[in-house]
Amino acid sequence: MFINKEQVDGHKEEYFGESMKELVTFQVGSYANFIGSHFWNFQDELLGLVEDTEADLVFKNQNIDMDVLYRTGENHQGMATYTPRLISVDFQGSLGSMSSHGTLYNQNSSLSSSVTTWTGSVSTQSTEPHKKNLFLKRLYDEGQEVGANANGIDKVSGESNSEILDTDVVKSLEDGVQYWTDFSKVHYHPQSLFELNGSWMGTKEFNNYRIGRDTVSEGLQGDEINERLRFFVEECDHVQGIQFIVDDSGGFSGVAASLLENIEDEYTNVPVLLYSVRSPGSYTSVANRKQVISRNLHDAVSFSALSSLCKLIVPLGLPSLSESRASQFLNLQNEKLYHSSAVYASAIHSITLPFRMKRVGPAESLSESGAMDLYEGIQMLVGQARQNSVTILDAAMPSPSITDRRFPLRNLQPLTPETAEDVEDLQAIESMVVHGVRGAGNHEASVSEVREAVETSYENTSTRPRFSHVSVSRCPLPIPLPFPSIFGNLVGRRGELLSNPQPGSGSRGSLDVHSIPMAARLRSTTAVLPFLENRLNNIRKFGMERGSIGVDVLRDWGFGKEEIEEIGENLSKMVLALDPEQGYSSDSD
Amino acid sequence: MSVRVLNPNAEVLNKSAALHMNINAAKGLQDVLKSNLGPKGTIKMLVGGAGDIKLTKDGNTLLKEMQIQNPTAIMIARTAVAQDDISGDGTTTTVIFIGELMKQAERCIDEGMHPRVVVDGFEIAKRATLEFLENFRTPVLIQMGEEADREMLKMVARTTLRTKLYESLADQLTDIVVNAVLCIRKPEEPIDLFMVEIMHMRQKFDVDTRLVEGLVLDHGSRHPDMKRRAENCHILTCNVSLEYEKSEINAGFFYSNAEQREAMVAAERRSVDERVRKIIDLKNKVCAGTDDNFVVINQKGIDPPSLDLLARAGIVALRRAKRRNMERLVLACGGEAVNSVDDLTPDCLGWAGLVYEHVLGEEKYTFVENVKHPNSCTILIKGPNDHTIAQIKDAVRDGLRSVKNTIEDEAVVRGAGAFEVAARQHLVNKVKKTVKGRAQLGIQAFADALLIVPKTLAENSGLDTQDVIISLTGEHDNGNVVGLNQHTGDPIDPLMEGIFDNYAVKRQIINSGPVIASQLLLVDEVIRAGRNMRKPS
Repeated sequence: MFINKEQVDGHKEEYFGESMKELVTFQVGSYANFIGSHFWNFQDELLGLVEDTEADLVFKNQNIDMDVLYRTGENHQGMATYTPRLISVDFQGSLGSMSSHGTLYNQNSSLSSSVTTWTGSVSTQSTEPHKKNLFLKRLYDEGQEVGANANGIDKVSGESNSEILDTDVVKSLEDGVQYWTDFSKVHYHPQSLFELNGSWMGTKEFNNYRIGRDTVSEGLQGDEINERLRFFVEECDHVQGIQFIVDDSGGFSGVAASLLENIEDEYTNVPVLLYSVRSPGSYTSVANRKQVISRNLHDAVSFSALSSLCKLIVPLGLPSLSESRASQFLNLQNEKLYHSSAVYASAIHSITLPFRMKRVGPAESLSESGAMDLYEGIQMLVGQARQNSVTILDAAMPSPSITDRRFPLRNLQPLTPETAEDVEDLQAIESMVVHGVRGAGNHEASVSEVREAVETSYENTSTRPRFSHVSVSRCPLPIPLPFPSIFGNLVGRRGELLSNPQPGSGSRGSLDVHSIPMAARLRSTTAVLPFLENRLNNIRKFGMERGSIGVDVLRDWGFGKEEIEEIGENLSKMVLALDPEQGYSSDSD
Repeated sequence: MSVRVLNPNAEVLNKSAALHMNINAAKGLQDVLKSNLGPKGTIKMLVGGAGDIKLTKDGNTLLKEMQIQNPTAIMIARTAVAQDDISGDGTTTTVIFIGELMKQAERCIDEGMHPRVVVDGFEIAKRATLEFLENFRTPVLIQMGEEADREMLKMVARTTLRTKLYESLADQLTDIVVNAVLCIRKPEEPIDLFMVEIMHMRQKFDVDTRLVEGLVLDHGSRHPDMKRRAENCHILTCNVSLEYEKSEINAGFFYSNAEQREAMVAAERRSVDERVRKIIDLKNKVCAGTDDNFVVINQKGIDPPSLDLLARAGIVALRRAKRRNMERLVLACGGEAVNSVDDLTPDCLGWAGLVYEHVLGEEKYTFVENVKHPNSCTILIKGPNDHTIAQIKDAVRDGLRSVKNTIEDEAVVRGAGAFEVAARQHLVNKVKKTVKGRAQLGIQAFADALLIVPKTLAENSGLDTQDVIISLTGEHDNGNVVGLNQHTGDPIDPLMEGIFDNYAVKRQIINSGPVIASQLLLVDEVIRAGRNMRKPS
């Protein structure tokens, strides 16, 4: 059914007595946790800026409800805590110098209390302790200073008079990030960090869907993760949904699928928004043909499984982010996970803002517009005639300013791989979020100004989507100290695009850029067809043709003929939904 | 596959070099785990790079924590872990037995025997040992409620627990695990250990660990006006959504105007309220005119408006209960778990004499106690820190398994090394003579490998292993079935001392150990076998 603009405009102005609230976040796999680490740093920064007397007013009046993502608790010393409602799953040993119990619920002097359960001899085997880098050292020192009134919110202000200098911190992170915890300034709840024990398996072998499923079922590890989810959901009054970031390039896709099956069973009506993410490194070419086939099949199997277990899936991760148009104002290195993950985290932050905007009643808020909950967001993108649940995420980082009452839509570039350019799709649906954008003359643009500019721009494009929704916030993306130096020299202190390059080095980071305006958009469009078709063709070519090596590979993963056909059918249905004329006939029907 | 990936050189190594590589790997793993074995073994404290601690006396846990990279060692470790999956214990024994089989085989091979011949001997010896075990085991048939039987179960559980925890804690847990299994045991049905809930609290001392006849839930009510303590409670166990939900996405449905949406919202709210109302009606029906209380334990969510309604009706309500607790609650309190509130009758309800909440920081616990005929119970573990709790939990699981095994095996095996010595003497004195030629040496090697169990027990107790073996084999040759007294080194009668192992555990060790050892000895087969070794069964 067609929804016209007026109806959806009316949308935002209603206050629901029954509005949904909490989001639970999952981060599964290495790259997902890198992205998540940046994501929570942004949230932590926003929390800190509310309290910071010197912060810009837009941050103080941000009108964003952090309770959507965070939970309030109390540690054993009776101290109040405020921690992400998060479950992170990664390999054992991936937490670097961070304890899996987090930092707030410390068991005092647990080492000295030693062994109370055995009177015989004890042998201790210690791994070499991970050294804290300068950033973590400084966080730790500051935590000690704050001492008793630590409340789960860390402020890392640029003017800190700590002994460790900002410039040294930034440099040490640029040179030495190894784990995602190395640049995290967030306190985590003890239930949040789960280390997956893949008995005697190297990360290299943990490279397919099947192995992930096996590992998570080993020793009831899956049950334990599900119990942790129950812990977080039980305390929610009204969960609006689950956002799931999964690095699906290897076994973690199988892990995620197992967890999602449980979610489908236990929380049937809770919608899941899933980002399947890939690091640039996951695209490195492999030499032997069998590995190529194996990887292609994994991609098809993984995508088919994950997309059927969530309501909306957003594939993220370009093979070469640094060379893509999405990073035209950035200066980053593909090989650093620390760099590329920051870009995806920024886009995810933007896209989730509408789910967190406070609904202030019928009157238009001066700082936000376009609030919706996850259900509404998904319903808008998916619940229409085409029922396509695979969307493209575009971002403009930083977003350009409004000029001539127009918003430059062309600056939004896809972060989703394998998409088509310049596609004319009259059925497209788009949901856009613009925040912190500036107007002509670099003044701060009002919410209605931004909104009108975006709408005008849409009206004047040659390829208008059938429907578009816009959410606007005045609050830009704050750049926390541990953010990587990935801005090019055309990006100013408040993220404005300069006409003349700044002197100095080519990369600017948190010391030079304090916040940036962002625009991000989810697009349900036929431009995603190449992504779908590649997966469909791969399962057909390698998985279904008689005598193909791929058939053996799939059998090793435990897929029988029927299951493979089911995957093929599932993928071809997704293609057909977007392109009924493709002529992809279903084989078995 | 893993073999080739991890060790690309495996195929170019000549057979003999590959064989010795396998033997060394097996010996290496044996060395690591050896000190674990028995009540005098060493507990291991593992400290991670970020200071996280793991404490374990359990071979299974230790193996899983180890970063094993050698493919042979991984094969052995997988077998040992499978041993634990199948029988619940015996991981350490499996590893050291495999290591010893390889060591003994090495001696034969160095003397010029072909590995094939050794393997043939192993096969004969294995079959003979399994036959011997059938006769050697001590049959027990556990009747319900017989005190003598309970004693037998306790002895088995104690034997296991004393290898994991210090004596008085082990003894305390012995009663707990035996009572727990007897509580959930139902005639003519397999024992489902999941019906024993294991809950923990970080508090005080490990000796506060106790058995709760009833259930402990790890959450509490979410409304300030609900009672924190209630007596004489009717329990409604249900899986019914008591929260406002939006309709399924993908319905292709969209509101055409704001009024229609409002109407949908209101209708959905009404239907939730209606469900709550039905529960309140039942409460009023069964509690009218009495002081009885009413507790709702729901697997699905309950939102604040519903909680409000329930609280006003004097009902205590818990949401998002574990799925397994639905089953446990019914077993503990009676009644049935309902999936709909449409046909609620008083028969659906269970009963508990006391329901109360215990708060510990941000953690809440709800105790459902004083139930009439519990068929489900909770072992509540208390400990000062997470690693202590985790270790006790592991031990409790092993204890529960040992009791279950005993009931299901209807047999036990005399412990303290008695079986291994007896089997060895049987092989050497009888079986070996029935075989001609070099295979005899294979049988001898297998027989000697069995002795690794009493030897290691002696070594871990600081005793002279040779003295111990001589005195034990001597006694056995005189027809006395004896094991090792770990304090004195003297022979003891395990029957008198109450030291018993599980039949299933011993059987599994004898079965799987030689299979892996043989594969490792016939090197060529190892590489091919590596492909399917992920899930040995």
